[in-house]
Amino acid sequence: MRFSLVYLLSALATTTGLLLWSPWSVGTRTTLASATNHSNKWSVGIGAPSARTTVTIPAKNTKTRGQATGDTITDYYSVETVPTPPGLVAETGGLAFMPDGRLAVCFHRGEVMLYDPKTKQWKLFAEGLHDPLGVIAVSNTELLIVHRPELTRIKDTNNDGVADVYETVIDQFGMSGNYHEYAFGPVRDRQGNLYISLNAASNGAGIRDEVRGTYDPLGRPGRMYACVPYRGWVLKQTPAGQVIPYALGFRSPNGIGFDAAGRLFVTDNQGDWLGTSKLYHVEPGKFYGHPSSLVWKKDFPDIDPLTLSVQALDSMRTKEVVAFPHQRMAHSPTQIVPDLTRGKFGPFGGQLFIGEMDFSRLLRVMFDTIGGQLQGACIPFFDKAGLKIGNNRMAFSPDGSLWLGMTDHGWVGDRGLQVIRYKGGTPLDLTAMHLTATGFDLTFTQPLDDATARSLTNYTCRRYYYKYHREYGSPETDKQPVAVTAARLSPDRRTVSLTVDKLVPGYIYEFTLGDLRAGNGTKKVANRLVCYTLNRLR
Amino acid sequence: MRYEFMHLILSRLRASLLAWLTLGIGPALAQQPVDTTITLKSIAGLQYDQPRLVLKPKTRLRLVLENYDDMAHNLVVTRPNARVRVVDAALRLGAEGASRHYVPDMPEVLAHTREVEPGRADTLLLTVDEGAFPYVCTYPGHGYVMYGILYGTRDPKRLPPPEADPYLPKRGSTAVHAGHHQPSGHPYEVTLPAVYRTFMPDCGPAAIAVGMPGLAGGPVQSYCFDAGICQLRYAWSGGFVDNADQWDGKGQKLTKLVGDIYYVASAPGRPSTAGLTVSTTTKPGAAPAPSPAGLVFPLRIGSKPAGHSPVVQFRGYRLINRYPEFQYVVDGVTVRELIKPLPGGRGLVRQFSIDKTKQPITFLADEQPGLAYRATQTGKTAALRNGQLLLPAGTRQFTIFMTVQ
Repeated sequence: MRFSLVYLLSALATTTGLLLWSPWSVGTRTTLASATNHSNKWSVGIGAPSARTTVTIPAKNTKTRGQATGDTITDYYSVETVPTPPGLVAETGGLAFMPDGRLAVCFHRGEVMLYDPKTKQWKLFAEGLHDPLGVIAVSNTELLIVHRPELTRIKDTNNDGVADVYETVIDQFGMSGNYHEYAFGPVRDRQGNLYISLNAASNGAGIRDEVRGTYDPLGRPGRMYACVPYRGWVLKQTPAGQVIPYALGFRSPNGIGFDAAGRLFVTDNQGDWLGTSKLYHVEPGKFYGHPSSLVWKKDFPDIDPLTLSVQALDSMRTKEVVAFPHQRMAHSPTQIVPDLTRGKFGPFGGQLFIGEMDFSRLLRVMFDTIGGQLQGACIPFFDKAGLKIGNNRMAFSPDGSLWLGMTDHGWVGDRGLQVIRYKGGTPLDLTAMHLTATGFDLTFTQPLDDATARSLTNYTCRRYYYKYHREYGSPETDKQPVAVTAARLSPDRRTVSLTVDKLVPGYIYEFTLGDLRAGNGTKKVANRLVCYTLNRLR
Repeated sequence: MRYEFMHLILSRLRASLLAWLTLGIGPALAQQPVDTTITLKSIAGLQYDQPRLVLKPKTRLRLVLENYDDMAHNLVVTRPNARVRVVDAALRLGAEGASRHYVPDMPEVLAHTREVEPGRADTLLLTVDEGAFPYVCTYPGHGYVMYGILYGTRDPKRLPPPEADPYLPKRGSTAVHAGHHQPSGHPYEVTLPAVYRTFMPDCGPAAIAVGMPGLAGGPVQSYCFDAGICQLRYAWSGGFVDNADQWDGKGQKLTKLVGDIYYVASAPGRPSTAGLTVSTTTKPGAAPAPSPAGLVFPLRIGSKPAGHSPVVQFRGYRLINRYPEFQYVVDGVTVRELIKPLPGGRGLVRQFSIDKTKQPITFLADEQPGLAYRATQTGKTAALRNGQLLLPAGTRQFTIFMTVQ
């Protein structure tokens, strides 16, 4: 499908006499779920490239969709598009709320703009950054922004509302000039340490004659590569200014963030060595599986990591805590934000929300702890309910609404800003999923209707895994149906205990829920697909 | 859901059919280099009859110059933005010029004809790359008005219309040219001075492009600073940058500079397009790589031997009336450098501020033909000797004036 699309586009480009599709565009995020969503946009893009800046996909009318089926997620949440200034190409790279409630937003072309939700006014704060992809609001006059060359502290020191100081905070990493060497983050832990994540380069393009940092040809082979320091790493900077290479083995870590408990996570994108997209729990010194970055590990031998056997690499790596099955859940997961709104954003307090580039949805993660190790499940959130695609960045507002920034950046996506607001009430949805000795406990937001909850036909399960290998992506491997043999409802009717015929570690257990109901049939389960990554048995 | 699935299958089928067609024919033809011959005429009024040529990249071009004028001309194709630099160098050939067909020996010259007398013709051969390549007559005095532009592009629709093309001679219609409004690509007008961190040609990847207004009647001037090695790389006049390609898509393509380069930091003993710094053993924590382009760093702290590569660390910049003042550390000493345009002409004024140090500082001028250096220290003229300005310990500030002659 990925290649088919490329050919479709190149064929279109050829027939229109334009050669917009360069070889390096054959990249990491080209699969489409639903051509209906995108074909219009692409044909506009190809026919009139200059017009692309003005093309937007109109948000679907959420209200009419909701009314047609009775109980939907739009009864509980609304989505609204935030107008952006004329002339702005709103490829959003970062979002953060300042203490005074203004939203700091950075865009692909280097602008940093402040939006006041009260007055709905935009104001330019800083300019000239190189593809900024993340921001922390330190104060009402100071931001930390990561862009291609560095993490930069940007300050307005003379209080004229415009930044005048651009201090280099972290630039102790290499740049080969390859387009795919994006820099993501920053995030800050409770001790004040800063973290950024660094994309590997892509063999869709070469490198510059001049590079920044040491060049190591042993990191050059491979589809995604790390020929200069710390590509494919997470770097940490202590409050004293020391930069520490923190963890490695990443491919395209376009999401880095903490959960409510202060644990660090990174999302990584399906591709070579990633059979599907993933969420990693990042701990110091650990290797997460994409090999090229190993050349920058202290004491790693002077070899091309790709000469190691898959078995050797597999034994070295730390697996994901949650896999996002390709196409079923995600193509390109993005930022990670915890819901710390204490109920202002609905019934999922403390959980992680994760953005997605290619589908009109977000993802939500429900953790489980087995033998002290995290694993868990993912489930869509606000799926096909009027949200644009291209959800690259997210930030919770002090009022508990979730602000989203879109980008396409040469891939599938969209542009602009939207906001999701919780309207109240309790949708029927999963809030927790725990492994048991014989199956899974599924806990819902509210008591289920007895009959639907106890009906085994409402639970379809299958299992599969994705290969860890050099090839790009992976098919669902060793797919097998899993019989659900019992469904027991807890006394409070909120938890269904499912017994399945076999639990095997190393598989994703994918459940499709049937027509579960609550409130005497008035509430329908909001999301029916949930995927549990079973690394360890209880 | 079912509908989506059907649609997927249909589009897949259609895509594979098209893929066969495209694979079979399209790319094979597109990759073939094409040979072509173009005849340009030099005509009265110091001009070529065609000031703009548009070709596909990889075209092998046979370019014929036929001289219909009553004086001698040549035709020199230069690297992008290098026309004035080549013309200036040709002028400096002086008495030697005629024997060299007025073509200076420099990497900026890509191809050239011989001097063509009236009624004669000459031919040059060139494989066209992607980019904008000036062609110019370097016969003394001609090159400031007699030139054109050769575009290598697959996307000619994106070229500016001729009346707005900054690379075409302005033949008395500067008002029209100046009046043409180019959108900034931002939700605001770009005000000079302005800073872009971006991918610039002939620089490390951590490049900073700075555009500056013309002062005292001088032209708009711009420069490229390399944050990776804390060094001025080159400067140009007559415009700033065009980010359209770099902003498009994933960000692989370079920003283009607009105008004419008049200074390029030179790398003695190494070609200007230096290779990579290669190491198979260096591991994290090792010293940073030496200057990748083989450039001489302009500041020497203390009495380091010639050829010493200082350890530098970029610290960022602050804006002073929108001009960036860079801060960096050179062998442990913090330096600030504020670069402004030379009023009234082409050139730069570089103001250096040095943190307290007990060591003397030496400024090493990158001396080049056609470029004059002057220095002041606390308001007084300071003498450069053998291209060096020796600054005693305790010097806190000095200014270097680089003037294009």
